[in-house]
Amino acid sequence: MKRLLPFAAFLFTGCAALQNMDVKSMTGGRFDASNIDYSKVAKGVTQIRKGFEEISESEEYYIGRAVAAQVLTRYKALNDPGLNAYAQKVAQAVALASDRPSTFKGYHVQVLDSNEVNAFAAPGGFIFVTKGLLKLVKSEDELAGVLAHEVAHVAKKHGLKTIQTSRLTSAFTILGTEAAKSYSPQQITQLTGAFEGVVDDVVNKMVVNGYSRDKEYEADKFGAQYAKNANYDPGALKTFLARMAKAEGGNKGGMFKTHPAPDKREAELGSLSPSSAYKRSSERGRRFTTAVQL
Amino acid sequence: MMRARILFAVAALLVASAAVATTVTVLVQETALRKRPQSYSPAVGTARLGQKFETEGLESGFYKTGSGYIHSSAVTTHKASVSGGDGVGGSATADEVTLAGKGFNAQVEKSYGNKNGGAVNFAGVNAMERRTTSEAALFDFLREGGLIPGGAK
Repeated sequence: MKRLLPFAAFLFTGCAALQNMDVKSMTGGRFDASNIDYSKVAKGVTQIRKGFEEISESEEYYIGRAVAAQVLTRYKALNDPGLNAYAQKVAQAVALASDRPSTFKGYHVQVLDSNEVNAFAAPGGFIFVTKGLLKLVKSEDELAGVLAHEVAHVAKKHGLKTIQTSRLTSAFTILGTEAAKSYSPQQITQLTGAFEGVVDDVVNKMVVNGYSRDKEYEADKFGAQYAKNANYDPGALKTFLARMAKAEGGNKGGMFKTHPAPDKREAELGSLSPSSAYKRSSERGRRFTTAVQL
Repeated sequence: MMRARILFAVAALLVASAAVATTVTVLVQETALRKRPQSYSPAVGTARLGQKFETEGLESGFYKTGSGYIHSSAVTTHKASVSGGDGVGGSATADEVTLAGKGFNAQVEKSYGNKNGGAVNFAGVNAMERRTTSEAALFDFLREGGLIPGGAK
């Protein structure tokens, strides 16, 4: 029995010491640069990151910026401050009700001056919607459904999932062995090459070929849920898809090329009912009509 | 009997120690600390990148902290050092890469921009990023549009 006492004391002291380490590092807020991750020191081995899940929040942001920079070279931004600000608010409303309300630097929307019917979401929260698509949207609730679909692509990291594993392995190998915050010219050349490949993978899938059907259906499903959480009518997404199906006709470009057929998406969504807090609003109708004049 | 009591006490100490608050570290530039664990609950403060909070548990996707509720997607519960992999074999985790500003960062973006010249429009992206809606303006927008029927209080 007595032999157990020192053991118990040891365990207690050990636990207390570990807790003290955490408490010291908390300091009520600001990150303490002197904080040391003792668990890692104890491990003392190199463990290079592997899959897309290990792309950091800040790296996702920089990948997203580069993808967005390519989109804005292919498409001209629409200079309509009122419309852009309105789309931004609707996107933030549904993003707030999503399972990823905050990205590294938030969600940002840009309307594109193109008659093509299309919308994209780059990693990190850069969302684009074309003038051509907005011409088919008839209410704020429908716009919320469209933007919520794009927020879902970001929240579910669909863009990052398109990056080839070999590219990530190569990038992480360079990054994982580099401790400095700024890089030497040789390292930056290697990293730029890796970064370029990563960005091209996302652009090719997002803009040129389109995500897989599964990812589009998943974005529809979660988008409808986010719209519902935000107290918009989730069924408005189906109404929009039905209008899109009618508009398809001979149009095989933009979203008609990169997404599953609208009628199939509509069928996949099944029945959707609004939240108990949903209510119609003349103000939503008024501000939509004011902002969306195309 | 005594031996069993001591073992029980040791086990209780271990459990109590483990049950003591988890620490979370913020991984986004800034995010709201909310009054309640709900998206439309008003913000009572702002949490910033690298800030640490002691939490009292997870409720509806939000960690409860002494300063308000913070969404679980904006934080990590892993121990993360701002110095990343320095001195331990370069084994930086994704969380540490964010906190230390390592990995694909502004320096890499600049080099990529220089290499691709006219094929990338970062000025357009910067303009896009400047477009944002404050929390107060967003809540006004939601209230006016009947999206927070009871109002966020």
